[in-house]
Amino acid sequence: MNTSGGVVLRSTAVAVGLLFLSPLLYGIWISFQTANRFFSGNGEMTLQNYVDAVEKMNFLRYLFNSLIVSGGVTILSLATSIMAAYAFSRFEFRGRDLIFGLVVATLMIPGHITLIPNYLNFARVGLLDTYAGLILPAVANGFATFFLRQYFRGIPRSLDEAAWMDGANAWKVLYRVIIPMSKPAIYAMGLFIFLGEWNSYVWPLIATDSPDMLTLQIGLARLYKMDAQEGLVNWPLVMAAATLTMLPVLLGFALVERHLVRGISMGAIK
Amino acid sequence: MLVRFTPYAMVLPIVLCILAFTYWPILVSFDLSFRHWDFMSSDKPFVGLSNYSELVRSDEFWNSVTITLIFTAISVPLRLALAIAIARYLTTESKTVRALRGAFFLPAVTSSVAIAVIWSWIFSTDAGVANALLNNLGIAKVPWLQTPSLALWVIIIVNTWKQLGYDIVIYVAGLQAIPEDLYEAAKMDGGKRWHTFRRVTFPLVMPTTYFLLIVSVIESFQIFTIVDVMTQGGPAMSTDMMVNMLYRTGFTLFDVGKGSALAVLLFVFLVVLTVLKSRILGKRVHYEH
Repeated sequence: MNTSGGVVLRSTAVAVGLLFLSPLLYGIWISFQTANRFFSGNGEMTLQNYVDAVEKMNFLRYLFNSLIVSGGVTILSLATSIMAAYAFSRFEFRGRDLIFGLVVATLMIPGHITLIPNYLNFARVGLLDTYAGLILPAVANGFATFFLRQYFRGIPRSLDEAAWMDGANAWKVLYRVIIPMSKPAIYAMGLFIFLGEWNSYVWPLIATDSPDMLTLQIGLARLYKMDAQEGLVNWPLVMAAATLTMLPVLLGFALVERHLVRGISMGAIK
Repeated sequence: MLVRFTPYAMVLPIVLCILAFTYWPILVSFDLSFRHWDFMSSDKPFVGLSNYSELVRSDEFWNSVTITLIFTAISVPLRLALAIAIARYLTTESKTVRALRGAFFLPAVTSSVAIAVIWSWIFSTDAGVANALLNNLGIAKVPWLQTPSLALWVIIIVNTWKQLGYDIVIYVAGLQAIPEDLYEAAKMDGGKRWHTFRRVTFPLVMPTTYFLLIVSVIESFQIFTIVDVMTQGGPAMSTDMMVNMLYRTGFTLFDVGKGSALAVLLFVFLVVLTVLKSRILGKRVHYEH
């Protein structure tokens, strides 16, 4: 392709991409406007909406909660999936295929069926409105287990065997050989889990109530819904809250887009 | 000796989690669907199929089934048609094309709540961009989200905008798997673009289309968040999807039995679709490799 063709192609691509993302970009732009500028068209740009979201609307706390919950889910999901994937990929044991089948089948189970019973069970043991209550139902991750098992299978067994010869046990082989060899896959999967949990809505909606336990998603939904019911939404403030809610995805996206896309395609082909 | 138990110790945590938070709750849902309960009272009398029969005799249930079906029947074909039309231009691996794919994909990994809030603003009656654009054409303000005949369309637009990038990425993978020489052959035959698309591209991405069709139908039946934030099922129940009704029945009206019955019905339907998906995926393999 000649250069002028390349330029045309590139500017068309930029135009199409910007147009497609314009609702998002426009929303972020609004978040820097004063209410006065937003409604009357003149006035200044400001960071006050972010200050208000954090100071008056408790969004710093929500941000903290989302970090704890998504971080907790990511670490525990990875830990349980890595152990299970290692056992599934390296050991013969009675019931292995059945157990593996049960883990992977959770991928196909629509989440809504567990909502009412999980709510009841967590209420019974007093875990509603706690971090544990938000984290636990999301820990088991069939996709991560499946994906990591496939990856571990690709690691040559001769490496494990060398470690076994040196007197290592199964846990040491996992820790010293398998995990170091799988770092890229584990990072990619961790990221995938983190973003998924960050955006999670239904369970946190049901499992939280007190203002100090809400995640960003629930805090944002409440802020908007309360305003909307009263019929007057402070759009710049709501957009600042929305921007905070999208922040990790927006920041991390450029960095990890390729991993994500590859993960998605693999999910489809699996 | 210890080694024999090691693999069990390693799978134990995840097994406990799936039993406690997935499989056991499924059984509890079935059980609760045969009972009357309000979360509070100490007894949960067994009432047989009465929750189900109440459900299928209520207008509320058929309304949510109908709305969910209409939503699915419009948004799935719309998504797939747009996705394949766009994916055709995004199969090369240059920096520009990859960036554009990324732009399309961004909403798919962005918070549904944030997206719902942003689009609520765009379609808001007084402050929204949609009405500002119409105003330029001399058209009066439209209360999009307050009009029963329009609100569902807004939900469809927002959901399509969010999910399109996922469909595109999957189609791109499918298109990239088509051998280049088939296009060459079609060109040699003097094939026009549309002709090539219809005779070569479309049949060869059929497995991808089947896959996306079923995945997006399954997903559409579970739509909740966008609706919950933008309309809560209104106005006049015109956007009341099945999961929104489930949430309301279980967690606002505290009718545990009826909520569970609704959950069970949707569950059975979706599991059937999922089994169908696995069958088709099995067939798909030889196209891919």
